[in-house]
Amino acid sequence: KTELSAPSAKDKKVILLPCRNPPSRERVQLWLEARKQYEGLQKER
Amino acid sequence: MTTLTRQDLNFGQVVADVLCEFLEVAIHLILYVRDVYPSGIFQKRKKYNVPVQMSCHPELNQYIQDTLHCVKPLIEKNDAEKVVVVIMDKEHHPVERFVFEISQPPLLSISSDTLLSHVEQLLRAFILKISVCDAVLNNNPPGCSFTVLVHTRDAATRNMEKVQVIKDFPWIVADEQEVHMKEPRLIPLKSMTSDIVKMQLYVEERAQKT
Repeated sequence: KTELSAPSAKDKKVILLPCRNPPSRERVQLWLEARKQYEGLQKER
Repeated sequence: MTTLTRQDLNFGQVVADVLCEFLEVAIHLILYVRDVYPSGIFQKRKKYNVPVQMSCHPELNQYIQDTLHCVKPLIEKNDAEKVVVVIMDKEHHPVERFVFEISQPPLLSISSDTLLSHVEQLLRAFILKISVCDAVLNNNPPGCSFTVLVHTRDAATRNMEKVQVIKDFPWIVADEQEVHMKEPRLIPLKSMTSDIVKMQLYVEERAQKT
């Protein structure tokens, strides 16, 4: 007699995501502006 | 022609290396094309013999690398069913999902020169599709962010644990808000079948984005 076994908890499908967030757009924008300023200063020298 | 199992030649590792390298390029390109970050942080590079846009922002690049470093052990063991790049609005509700559905053959029939043949060419086609996908997608609302989801099995999460600790990059089970999308529109972008991996990419787009 063949019995189908119920899927165990270990086989349960899960969806994971990182706990940490990527840098925000605003933070990246600030970095970009600072880099442009720095590059501008470097050119002036 | 030789038939190899997944254990031979550390087949899983080869697939994971190839896919993670590809996913890194794909994530950068998605973030550029979908305007998640200012275009000024992206620089033109050549990958798979085509021009792509890659971020030069150190923190963002590190984040993408750490994410994929944690996903790699799952791909290696064939435990990552889907890797999803989710673009979210200001309220953290998904507006778009780029779904990479991955499956690997349990047995591999290869000759020495066909192991990775055509894979690069096939991946190039994915990159080209991503680079023009904005033509078939609606504009996203301002202030979007992104995250990466991995569809796996509970038992497989143990493969990630060690890497999570080393990288100080913990993962959690996604809640309904991060996963659910109201009335998504499905846009198939590309599929491929190769000796080492099958993959399809589609986008799920929320009907009402604003």
